[in-house]
Amino acid sequence: MKPPRWANWLLEAFGHPDTREEVQGDLLELYDYWVQTVGKRRADWRYSLNALKLLRPLAKSKRSSAEYPPPFLLSPDMLRNYFTIAWRTLAHNKAYSLINVVGLSIGLAAAMLIMLYTKDEVSYDRFHTNNPNIYRITSRQITPGGVQESVAGNTGYFQGPTFTAGIPAIRAFVRFQGHQNDMKQGNEVKSQQVFLTDSNFFSVFSFPLLSGNPKTALTNPNSVVISEEMAEKQFSTTDALGKVIFFKDSYSDSSQFKPYTVTGVARRSPQNSSIKFDVLLPMVIKPEVMADRNNWFNIFLNTFVLLRPDARVHKVGAQMNRIYLADARETIKAMAEKYGMKNNVEYALQPFTHMHLSKELPADNGLVDSSNPTYSFILSGIALFILTIACINFVNLTIARSLKRAKEIGIRKIVGGGRYQLTVQFLGESFLLCFCAFAFALILVQLVLPTFNQLSNKALSLSYLFDARLVAGYVALFLTTGLLAGFYPALVLSGYSPVQTLYSLNRLSGKNYLQKSLVVLQFAIASFLIIGTLTIYSQFNYLTTKSLGYDDKQVISVDKSGLKRSELKLLREELLKQPGIMAISPKNGGRWGTIARVNGETQLDFQYETIDPTYLPIFRIPIVKGRNFSADLPTDSTQSILVNETFVKKAGWKHPLGQVVDFWYNNEKYRVVGVVKDHHYASLNESIGPQLFTMKPTNGFGKFFVKIKPNTETASLRHITKTFRQLFPTTPYAYKFLDVENRSKYEAEAKWKQIMLFGAVLTIFISCIGLFGLATLAAERRIKEIGIRKVLGASVPSLVQLLSSDFLKLVGLSFIVAFPAAWYAIDKWLQNYPYRIDISAWTFVTAAILAILIALITISIQSIRAALTNPIQPLRAGE
Amino acid sequence: MKRAFLGEFEEVVLLTVAILDEEAYGVTITQEIEQKTGRTVGFSTVHTTLQRLEEKGFLSSRMGGATAERGGRRKRFFTVTAAGRRALQEVKQVREELWGSLPPQTLQLMGN
Repeated sequence: MKPPRWANWLLEAFGHPDTREEVQGDLLELYDYWVQTVGKRRADWRYSLNALKLLRPLAKSKRSSAEYPPPFLLSPDMLRNYFTIAWRTLAHNKAYSLINVVGLSIGLAAAMLIMLYTKDEVSYDRFHTNNPNIYRITSRQITPGGVQESVAGNTGYFQGPTFTAGIPAIRAFVRFQGHQNDMKQGNEVKSQQVFLTDSNFFSVFSFPLLSGNPKTALTNPNSVVISEEMAEKQFSTTDALGKVIFFKDSYSDSSQFKPYTVTGVARRSPQNSSIKFDVLLPMVIKPEVMADRNNWFNIFLNTFVLLRPDARVHKVGAQMNRIYLADARETIKAMAEKYGMKNNVEYALQPFTHMHLSKELPADNGLVDSSNPTYSFILSGIALFILTIACINFVNLTIARSLKRAKEIGIRKIVGGGRYQLTVQFLGESFLLCFCAFAFALILVQLVLPTFNQLSNKALSLSYLFDARLVAGYVALFLTTGLLAGFYPALVLSGYSPVQTLYSLNRLSGKNYLQKSLVVLQFAIASFLIIGTLTIYSQFNYLTTKSLGYDDKQVISVDKSGLKRSELKLLREELLKQPGIMAISPKNGGRWGTIARVNGETQLDFQYETIDPTYLPIFRIPIVKGRNFSADLPTDSTQSILVNETFVKKAGWKHPLGQVVDFWYNNEKYRVVGVVKDHHYASLNESIGPQLFTMKPTNGFGKFFVKIKPNTETASLRHITKTFRQLFPTTPYAYKFLDVENRSKYEAEAKWKQIMLFGAVLTIFISCIGLFGLATLAAERRIKEIGIRKVLGASVPSLVQLLSSDFLKLVGLSFIVAFPAAWYAIDKWLQNYPYRIDISAWTFVTAAILAILIALITISIQSIRAALTNPIQPLRAGE
Repeated sequence: MKRAFLGEFEEVVLLTVAILDEEAYGVTITQEIEQKTGRTVGFSTVHTTLQRLEEKGFLSSRMGGATAERGGRRKRFFTVTAAGRRALQEVKQVREELWGSLPPQTLQLMGN
């Protein structure tokens, strides 16, 4: 007799698991009894009914009190426990936590700053709504005679309108030209950077106007658009529409000031804009200028074009060159006939957004200078170094400290903590620490931002942080650092076998190659940066102290454009009345260069100076052969020239005196009367090129130099100011000391010197606190050994040596890694300088001594302390 | 002390377990109730009551040996605990007090 199967199945599936056995037994027994007393049919019925009534559908899910619940990885209780333990561990080991937090926050702060910097760099000019359709026309020129090839972002008046008329893919063009203009404010005249631009400036670029109509603001030739700051400065209000500013027409000699009416006030230009303007004036070009086909070859401004979205850039480039060749054919032919030169220009388009980080083409004509992407790389590299070193500290210290925590790990494992739970715990600790560091880093960034801005020549602010991408970057940075620093220790610590940790602690301390190689890596990076810093320092020192070949002390330089011969005479007479003033000498303004034929055919490209006979004496530049210009010989100004030694060398002259130089542009011929000793007329970042001096009266002077006696500066300067103001009331006056000006040519080097120094000091500091931590732990671990050694008669120095030698070996090893890398890097860097220091072994030796010394001091503090402790205490404590 | 309440059926089951002494398990308890009271009780009812009584602490149980007729399954034997005995006595006492306080006329009317 069998009871119904379905009833049995029901009981199996849904009965209470704890009582299933006896219930089924009892029911079976009863079933037999029921079959005998009431028959099978009713027995079946009763059986099924009872089975149904016994179902406990929820019984399975009910937790029985005998079983321990499987622990949930992120259960709130455990999380609280992790947090408590982490907090206690960190609070208990203050030195360890401090080292990690300080190191990590410096590393994070460095990384955050660099991210700010890099974000700013790559976001240049991206705010224009017409991007990516804005391009700049660039040109590649082979200079007459094919002597030199040059690429430029410059164009002339001609290219923009001609290309736009001929190429349908170009929707619009905007020319942009910056120059210094004199501006009158009350009775005072100031030099002001202004920009000439086409009237559609505001429809191509996205610069919002606070007031004024962007469409018509620049259509009237006498209108001007000024910036918010300019309006504040000039009129003390931003509501400046209709007000008048006076500008001098810098292209004519007249000293008349012309009124311009303000037709627009523009909002402050964004920090990451290549175009930053205070004054925009409409570009007015006379028809006869535009008709002159020679205009193709004058390049002095920037032309931006706006392409149709579907335009093919490559095709537009080809079309531009076709138009140029067709339009300029006559001119090219005429020039070739006249000078026998093969002139060639090739036009191309450069995306506006690429301009800022372009190494090849500088952004000039008043655009914010482009920056070298290398700087971003170097800065990022340094930040990465610092962060890596901080993470290495974390990994090393955590693993070194793990012996102390081995018991905790063992007990956690024995009471049922799984490996992944321990991993989560240790990772959590690393994140907690990283979080503290992150908070400190934010404060640190805020604190050092002004200094950083000064160094990097930026105006960054923390408000930049509210950029979604940057915030995402920081969160990623935080997570990466937390993981990077915590992952390996977590993996190692969670892998300890509980039996080993609880019974034989000593077996865990193995060779620990990882820790050793990380220390080597740290110090390799640190010594690399020390060597870099030392090299930059000596190169900077070399550049700023190297003799330039002329005397630039006590010389004042004053700009005065269009200084006439007669004015100079008057100026000289007036100035020399003051006894402190020794001499005055004029020179052309700016750098002039041209090309001439020597020996009948050779073409030579040279720097070209207009001076008078006082110039060489004032700077004590020696004449090697021949004579100086003479004021007594009137023919000197029309027939004679001086050249420098490089010119002679390039021209291949054995007897330079009397040689003829034939200027290509006007067929003027001059005779060499003297050879000037080579001197560094430009910065030492350039090698000395051929240089030529003339007294040609039609060439203008642009500035003058005044040599004054030492200790008469105040009186002399006052006299120069007074005289200048008197003679040239409409010209802005500003003076510079020449030697100071010469030093300022190495600002970039000075900045890099400082940045490298910061980087090196930070990396050394972080490496050292890491080493300090390791030394502390090593001394702690060996405290008993030290005690025994001391009891047996070891001296303190021998103990210090014992404790330090391990670490010093690692530091020594790091040099093997660092030296070749550093040598390669500085060699590469020095190649950029025509005048440079030799890489000397001393740099490396100094770096090595410095690194060892710093490391030694760091380690010794702990070693000496350990060696000086009373040996009895640690030995007793172990009982 | 809070008094433990016994339901009518609970009382019957508890008494039956006490009567059966060493032999009280699901089947014997069910059959005994059927024979003694003449009413048909479902095994499930008895089983749940037994569980409840054990939870209340009036019964304790242990597993016995397996027998072939039950398909090799063991029996769960129940015994009355001290608390169970006290509960039974309390119930009995309450009943006796109530019976004792019945007026004689009423007894006569009931036909005794």
